[in-house]
Amino acid sequence: MGKVVTMKQAIASHVNDEDLVFIGGYICRTPFAAIHEIIRQKKKDLTITRSNAADDFDIMIGAGVVRRFISTFLSLGVYGLGRCYRRSIEKGIPRRIEVEEYTNLSLPMMLLAGSMGMPFVPVKDMLGTDLLNVKAFMGENKYKLIDSPFDGKPTLLVPALNPDVAIIHVQQADEDGNAQIWGIGGDCKVGANAAKKVIVSCERIVDRETIGRDPSRTIVPSFKVVAVVEEPYGAHPGYTPGFYDVDFAFGALYQKASNTVEGFNDFLKEWVFDIEDRTAYIQHYIQSFGYSRFKELQARFGYGYPVSYEY
Amino acid sequence: MHRHPDDYIKPELMACCGSREIKDGDIVIVGTGFPTMAANIAKYTHAPNATLMQESGVIDARPRRPALSVGDPCLNPGAAMIGGLVDIMGMFLQAGWVDVGFLSGSQVDKFGNINTTVIGDYNKPKSRLPGSGGANPIGSLAKKVLIIALHNKKRLAEHVDFITTPGYIDGPGSREKWGLPDNTGPHVIITNKAVMRFDKDTKEAYLATYHPDTSVDEIISLTPWELRVADDVHETEPPREEELKVLREILDPLRMIRIYESRGYV
Repeated sequence: MGKVVTMKQAIASHVNDEDLVFIGGYICRTPFAAIHEIIRQKKKDLTITRSNAADDFDIMIGAGVVRRFISTFLSLGVYGLGRCYRRSIEKGIPRRIEVEEYTNLSLPMMLLAGSMGMPFVPVKDMLGTDLLNVKAFMGENKYKLIDSPFDGKPTLLVPALNPDVAIIHVQQADEDGNAQIWGIGGDCKVGANAAKKVIVSCERIVDRETIGRDPSRTIVPSFKVVAVVEEPYGAHPGYTPGFYDVDFAFGALYQKASNTVEGFNDFLKEWVFDIEDRTAYIQHYIQSFGYSRFKELQARFGYGYPVSYEY
Repeated sequence: MHRHPDDYIKPELMACCGSREIKDGDIVIVGTGFPTMAANIAKYTHAPNATLMQESGVIDARPRRPALSVGDPCLNPGAAMIGGLVDIMGMFLQAGWVDVGFLSGSQVDKFGNINTTVIGDYNKPKSRLPGSGGANPIGSLAKKVLIIALHNKKRLAEHVDFITTPGYIDGPGSREKWGLPDNTGPHVIITNKAVMRFDKDTKEAYLATYHPDTSVDEIISLTPWELRVADDVHETEPPREEELKVLREILDPLRMIRIYESRGYV
């Protein structure tokens, strides 16, 4: 059976209520089309994770699809604190999510351990801080502090993470799911490979021969991939290197909307619930802001240096 | 002798203070805003061989506009290496390669502990903040940590509400007890009023230099702990002409640094 499906099919088939979901992206290549579809399908009680979360996690928390968050950070960057995240934690709106706090070293290492089949991994951070004093749903399994069996020094162990499913957005993939990226990686590669299965959203589907012209760019091999969705502008309002820039003006729009519950709900209705899919989203964007603003987001063109793999 | 134009704003002075802490050849983890500007001033003046990296995976970026986040698109084209978090935070920071890290916090205490998690009680927060991100590992593992803070009794604290990132924790011997690597930890707190350094024995921040339009007394009155004052306390050197030239003509021609004035850095 072919893996190339619509986002609607991919999310319906492969993301279940209560799943632990790794969502790749680091402003760079955020799988926003998938996130909107998760919200449209009203998934329930998800546990979400990634290092340095932003508006993508904030919108899921505000939409009520999240129960738990294995976190390192969540903010809207230049637009300040995550409004929905704050409302959730401070006021329980729409619900109080549970947060397990890690860092941008320990969480990627937990995913690395997961991707390697290791049960846990030692890390050198978090020691001496309140990050060790707060435990949520992982309880005593958040970490173990031991004396190293090698030199007796205090050593922090954190558990491997194996998400039920990873969702990543990449520049290109073939129909089997060999997925290629370039540019800032964040924890995308370890997060995807730690997961039991991967949904690949991509700017373009290319043939297997194109993948083979620069195979070092592949971060996930096809056998881990269960669905491939061709979704141009799938990371908007985030960016995809070589394709389009961050939409800072849209970031401001989200900040303003999410300042209040009403504004946030109006935003969800306009940009998620009343929208059929990413094509409709782009059409709505162009209708709302004009084609020239859409065009301005597109990346200038400049090839990298072509390399030879021949022998 | 250096010329010191007097038309600078406070965030520019603070960026210069940061720059002067960087030595030629240092490996520096930067975020955005102040840290990037400070590190780049150093690179264009006295430290051309410093290497800058972002936790998101980038080494020696060549941005054509100021980066607004550590994942900013402008960091991609022209960089020397792009990997991911495991590379920067694991292979380089955790492995002990990073000389300097820049951090800022909503609350900073006298031992250089930083809170970016929560204001108030963790379980009943007054304000939920972003969390650690890369701050905790940078504060745990970089050899010298430069801290940027606002100088008032809310932002500086005798004790922070939540230690997100370790400074000297409870004081002398704490980092060693917890097994953090030797010769790491906070080096300086740069505020909009002063530069504070850490006493070798007590591990408390003391006043090293005061910025031109302030005084020792004013700074003591704005500091929530009993601030000790260095014997050789003196005025902070204002921005040099060449530092401002780099900042205004190369790094930040749109003068986005002014945004920090609206955040209270005056």
